[in-house]
Amino acid sequence: MIYLDYAATSPILPEAKKAMLDVLDNFPGNASALHTPGHRAHEIIETARADIARLIGAQPHEIIFTSGGSESNNTVTNIFAGQSVAVSAIEHASVLESARARCNCIEIPVNKYGEIKDSFFESIKRNSYENSAASEPCNDRCERASSRKNLSLISIMLANNELGTIQDIKHLAKLAHQYGALFHTDATQALGKIPINVKDLDVDYTTISAHKIGGPVGIGALYVKDGTPFTPLIIGGHQEHGKRAGTYATANIAGFGAAAKYAYKHNTPKLYAEKIAPLRDELASRILKEIPFSNINGSLSKRFSSRTLAPPAVAGALRFARARKRECPLEKHLDNLPNILNVSFEAAEGESIQLYLDAKADIAISTGSACAAGDGKPSHVIMATTNDAEVAHSSIRFSLGLDTTKQDIDEVMKILPDIINNLQQISTIKMKGAK
Amino acid sequence: MTTKQESQDWVYSAKVKEHFLNPRNFLMGDESKFTHDTEGIVGNPICGDQMKMFLKIKDDKITDIKWKTYGCASAIASTSALSQLAKGKTLDEALKITAKDIDDYLGNLPKHKFHCSVLGHEALEAAIKNYRDQKDH
Repeated sequence: MIYLDYAATSPILPEAKKAMLDVLDNFPGNASALHTPGHRAHEIIETARADIARLIGAQPHEIIFTSGGSESNNTVTNIFAGQSVAVSAIEHASVLESARARCNCIEIPVNKYGEIKDSFFESIKRNSYENSAASEPCNDRCERASSRKNLSLISIMLANNELGTIQDIKHLAKLAHQYGALFHTDATQALGKIPINVKDLDVDYTTISAHKIGGPVGIGALYVKDGTPFTPLIIGGHQEHGKRAGTYATANIAGFGAAAKYAYKHNTPKLYAEKIAPLRDELASRILKEIPFSNINGSLSKRFSSRTLAPPAVAGALRFARARKRECPLEKHLDNLPNILNVSFEAAEGESIQLYLDAKADIAISTGSACAAGDGKPSHVIMATTNDAEVAHSSIRFSLGLDTTKQDIDEVMKILPDIINNLQQISTIKMKGAK
Repeated sequence: MTTKQESQDWVYSAKVKEHFLNPRNFLMGDESKFTHDTEGIVGNPICGDQMKMFLKIKDDKITDIKWKTYGCASAIASTSALSQLAKGKTLDEALKITAKDIDDYLGNLPKHKFHCSVLGHEALEAAIKNYRDQKDH
């Protein structure tokens, strides 16, 4: 199997597995107990906490263990229940939907690359200080702009899971603080892929998860800056200094700690930049060059020329030449994760592409298309960036891991052009520019 | 490059997989390549699924059938299955094909995929209606 769905979940690292087996084999007690087995569990947990804190530049006591990224995100929106919060339109559902359910939720629009624009903050300023009437249209889910008065929290993800688009969080957090709001960032996808320092970013809350960096599923953490308001989501125990009740999942925590230690020790962001980003770029260049009517979505598309309606061979060659000119793996300003490529193919539906790759070549990728998710709705992320349901239904995501090789990319490109061509040929939709 | 052998590992039934990987009666490329007496289209790419049926009809009987689909794996498989079910049938017989017939033929689609097979059936209905409307005028 060629696994290119690391952003969904990643295989467990041998180091993390060993740490977990050590815990399971040696039965540590309940970490809250005072006896020796309990104390041993406590030691394991605090070591892991320190390793995780170090990876993001936090103090260990600022790390709260949760059951995963979704719980961490829910914990944050719950703190601000009933208050006005602003979240980006491309947040993970655990931010977006929980904020809609609990708070007066304003959605922050993004541009076609998935980036937040400063103009949003200017509108908050206008509305919160001058208390002017609503001037912008709102959809049914969000409150009128006047509710931006007394905005308590702004939540913007560090890197988007579908597009890989990275936000300038340091800048956005600064703006949020200027307008009197606290700032949360969901760093689940960014962890281990790019350097993260919560103190440098100056954020108040940060969500992270173990299984995206080779740790186990079912464990995550929330960074809560010292002195920041907090209300527990799960109540009924003194664990985590009363911030999260429930018996410690010692084995999972040990696995998370080991994965964090691995990421720190091996400087995985550097490995991704040097080894994986060039492979991802090669896949992107080859798709644009070899597959007619293909388009890159998100911030990565900036690096490749926009598609023209010239004959594919000519356009492909031009694009390839331009792409090669920019062959620089370490950019000054990172605007997309090194391991994610979101691409759409005109007239070819995402789930069909995914399942042909799976059935014919044992290649695992992901799609945000409606059919795959089963909810009848196209990806809210692609809708927010393109406002084009056809693009959303026709997009797929490749996400690479540190084990991805050039051979994997070659195998994909052996079969993908034929799959796309077949789907385009039997499609009811005519490709734009097609005769 | 190997194809998975164990169909039970796959997300849909063996029959769905088989029709998805080897669809019957599809129309490749230019529609004008297939001379047909009527066509019907249903669905919308905005919703994620669209199907188009092309029929050749003689003496009120479907002598040949081709289709195009933009959609997911079960949409492709169900349109393929429908084309098999409808081929050779009289128009009245073809109109009696229900979504359940397609579902039974494919060995049950997941519930959330059921709308796909209903869609193919509607495209066939639309094509037959178009044909009858043309004849009436």
